[in-house]
Amino acid sequence: MSELSDISIELIIPELLILFGIVSLVILPNLGEARFRIPLTSTRVPVFIGGTRFEFSRDPRLPFRISIVILFLSLFFAQLAFWSPENWTGKVGLVLEVDRFSILMSNIFLSVVFLCTLAASHRLPANPSASGPSKRDSEKVEKEKIEDLYNNRRQVDFYILILMTAIGMTLMTKSTHLFMLFVCLELASLSSYVLVGFNKETDIGGEAGTKYFIVGSVSSAVGIYGMSLLYLWSGSLYITDLTILWDSMSTLDPLPVISIGMMLVAFGFKIGAAPFHLAIPDAYSGASSLVAGLLATASKAMGFVALMRILVLISMPDQGEAFWMIIVAIISVITMTWGNISALSSTNPKRILAYSSVAHAGYMLAAIAAIGAGLGNLDSYSLIVTAILFHLTVLVVFKLGAFLVLNILEYKNNSHKLEGLHGLASRDPILAGSMFIFLLSLAGVPPFSGFLSKLLMINGILNSTIDTGSISASAIQEWIVSVDMLFWLALAIVLNSALSLFYYLRMGMIMFFEKTENDQPITYSIWIKVSIIILAILTALFGIGPISEILLDSVTNSANDFLGINS
Amino acid sequence: MILTILVITPIFFGLGLILLPHVLQKNMAENIRNITKNISLGVGVALFAISTFFSITSLGGIEWLNISLGDFQLKEEGISLIPSIGTSWKLGIDALSLPMVWLTTMLIPVSMLVEWDAKDSHYFHPLLLILEGAMIGVFVVLDLFVFYLFWEMTLIPMFFLILMWGGEDRKYAAMKFFIYTFSASVVMLIGILIMYFYTTSSETMTGHTFDMIVMINNTELIPSIGLRHLVWLLLLIGFATKMPSVPVHTWLPDAHVQAPTAGSMILAGVMLKMGAYGFLRIAVTAFPGSTVVFTPLLIFLGMVSLVYGAWVCMGQTNLKRMVAYSSVSHMGLIFLGISTMQPLGIAGALFMMFAHGIISPLLFAVAGAFKHHYHTLEIGSMRGIAHHSPWLSGHMMLGWMASLGLPLLAGFVAEVAILISFWMTFGWLVLLPTMTLVITAVYYLSSMQKTIFESNNPHSAILPDTMKGEEPRDISWHENVGMLILASFTVIFGILPFIYWDMMADWSSEIMNILSEEMRIRGIKP
Repeated sequence: MSELSDISIELIIPELLILFGIVSLVILPNLGEARFRIPLTSTRVPVFIGGTRFEFSRDPRLPFRISIVILFLSLFFAQLAFWSPENWTGKVGLVLEVDRFSILMSNIFLSVVFLCTLAASHRLPANPSASGPSKRDSEKVEKEKIEDLYNNRRQVDFYILILMTAIGMTLMTKSTHLFMLFVCLELASLSSYVLVGFNKETDIGGEAGTKYFIVGSVSSAVGIYGMSLLYLWSGSLYITDLTILWDSMSTLDPLPVISIGMMLVAFGFKIGAAPFHLAIPDAYSGASSLVAGLLATASKAMGFVALMRILVLISMPDQGEAFWMIIVAIISVITMTWGNISALSSTNPKRILAYSSVAHAGYMLAAIAAIGAGLGNLDSYSLIVTAILFHLTVLVVFKLGAFLVLNILEYKNNSHKLEGLHGLASRDPILAGSMFIFLLSLAGVPPFSGFLSKLLMINGILNSTIDTGSISASAIQEWIVSVDMLFWLALAIVLNSALSLFYYLRMGMIMFFEKTENDQPITYSIWIKVSIIILAILTALFGIGPISEILLDSVTNSANDFLGINS
Repeated sequence: MILTILVITPIFFGLGLILLPHVLQKNMAENIRNITKNISLGVGVALFAISTFFSITSLGGIEWLNISLGDFQLKEEGISLIPSIGTSWKLGIDALSLPMVWLTTMLIPVSMLVEWDAKDSHYFHPLLLILEGAMIGVFVVLDLFVFYLFWEMTLIPMFFLILMWGGEDRKYAAMKFFIYTFSASVVMLIGILIMYFYTTSSETMTGHTFDMIVMINNTELIPSIGLRHLVWLLLLIGFATKMPSVPVHTWLPDAHVQAPTAGSMILAGVMLKMGAYGFLRIAVTAFPGSTVVFTPLLIFLGMVSLVYGAWVCMGQTNLKRMVAYSSVSHMGLIFLGISTMQPLGIAGALFMMFAHGIISPLLFAVAGAFKHHYHTLEIGSMRGIAHHSPWLSGHMMLGWMASLGLPLLAGFVAEVAILISFWMTFGWLVLLPTMTLVITAVYYLSSMQKTIFESNNPHSAILPDTMKGEEPRDISWHENVGMLILASFTVIFGILPFIYWDMMADWSSEIMNILSEEMRIRGIKP
């Protein structure tokens, strides 16, 4: 018992709150007037579970209300930790540790889930006055009524799943043990598989869910097999133990190399790196936009956390280049190019954003490859990790923002086609303007935050490679021949962002340019509108000025914590 | 403060005028929409007044004798934007940027006047204001990060101007414009970042700074000469695409033909000059050694642009396309002027930037007026319109003459300076650019003669089919006022070029000192 009392439980208040939320989501909507009659008497004891439900537990809006309050509270605590990290860091038990890195990531995950939950109130509306269809109804009305009832019934399922992803992700960043990390990752992933297939009544939704589940579980299986090989080699799965063991290895042992390679497959799928990305566009286009947004931001960030832990922390030698450097560099170039070229020919906005998410994964992998080159010191690694974390953070703002806009259009419109965006500027100028800002930021146009993050990544790559160029070179060719190959990754990122501009602009342009037959204004809740506007403003503010400086500072601190640099 | 006001005010007003009606109630919003263009014009004129005042008087305390290279006036610094990567709000103005700032503030109200009755003017004129702020920003910032920011920021309003108010193919043209210039400038960004790496600063997280003056003075820190050349080339790609020089000029004709009149006026008048400005400010100043080494490349690019641009002009049947290609041709002269490596040549190039910035908007305003009143741009489909539109014909004559380099008009000063120094450096090779000027005269004169004079009947013109029986008329008063302003500046700077010429000459002899030092080291004879 003495060990338990050491656990500083207050550090994981957000997770505990979410857990509480899940439990109350299971219990509260089932409360009713059920009574248990004590046998042989006429006394009826109320047991509350089952029977005719109370007024409040019958309300289909209850699950949404519970989860939004819970998420708001846990986001509040996460923010508290974010602003005063000194009181909120420390070890929790044996396998969890809260540091500034995990606080930052928790904030990312929780804000994504919070915004998705908010958006879900539009995409998956609960209608307290829904009634069954009657014979007098026309076919259309009947269909709508059935859909309403159907939506009411699956409210709880949706919110439980989305809270499960939240708890899985936030615990995952805090875990210092590979097995814990994997379990939490799988908790979040399994819930997200179900969320992808949530619209199972449509063909495309069912297909997406199945495909994503099969590919995802195969890759997880490969990953856990790799992890068991790693355990065979080391006898411990603590990340610190593994790091020490790896550094003490004089020559490369094939066993851990193979196992790291296998884990690369597992986490490569999570981040959507080529060639494991093939299920991603299908999943995104089949899922509802908010789930796609969750996958593109939070789930990808989760994959990157895991990937950076095994690549940068564990298998990075003290001196010289890591064995995975070449592989990751090649994968990154293929990923970004493949993503961008596929997006060019796509006509479904969700697929376009999915491919753009693949391309962004490529940029970040290129930055990881630059760490693997082993040319710099801890400070230059910190610069690159900062760039990656900053990119993951600002992705929440503009990528999720873009998905939220699509989410509004999707319901009772069609966002499966680019036509869904037609004439958005005249139907809803605020929405179109925000979407345009998001798209420009995705393309990396200054002054938006997408530019700053891309700049930091290129900066990181150049920083660690440029000194390899020959100092005495007096002609361009001489210098080009002498510089490290990774220098060209910076050029690959630049060329790819130029390429990506095509499809972002095409998407942006049809909003202003094409006419639409349907020119009714779009109705959606004021909260969603406010959050989209806030996201659009943040996209600009994180790009330049004091606010981006504050963010950059705390991201730098997180990166230092992640690498174990004391600052 | 004064430069910050010049940059921030138009952006602030522009954004405000666009966003405000969406927030206010319907009634108020309608009222604001109705006076949007008046407010925009007012802001434009006020800024023009400010920049004129600090040009002609001592507003803000410019020391006129010290304005040349490296001595930035009206300096403002202090506010850090993102301290950890070392970027801050730092402004200043010197002989290179002062004429450009004045030109920008002058052109914006004029282009607003010319396109006074644009449809959806409650978006059109504020967009022009945002564009103005971004362009002035490019010219006055002394921090490369913010420079790049403004550089890209100019694209967005221009993209919308072409997209929403352009001609039939506007979608294609807007895309092409954006993608060409954006791709080129990300290449330039790599060059800037490499320069950034070799600066040192103790105050930032990355250990480097984006301060332009520090970066430019410390390029010897880049150890390898090969890398310096590479950076120079990367910068050249970015700037040459904006200028544009052959072979990356192909976005220009499309963008110009499709853009609305005000859009092409600003595009030709200021945005092309941003390329030349950046080239001189960053590439030439920071890497004089590479500039000297790559002079043959500059001569080649300049010569090809000059000859090819002029040659293509002769075959054009579209008035606007012809003017667009003539811009390519004139931008070639700027490269030639720099490559002469003479103070006079560089001063000529600077004055070319300035003079072309006054003349080409006049040309585009005239072409736009043809499109507006005669609904066509085909040379030859309308003939002898001087009979119906005397004012328009007058402006056309003046503009066309100024552009082909008639003495006493602004264009002549620049051309003759460049040609003289070209002769001083390359001797009889000067015949090639000179002959090109003859070609220029041919296409200008023939198009003018066809359009405004040639008609069988002295009492009426041959009207194009696109008129559809409409009564031909002259330009409206606001177009006339705009063109008159441009025309009078063309004459003023033709007769009194020394208003800006002196400081440009100082600047170029300063830069020439640096360049000739490099040439002496390399043993290249001037």
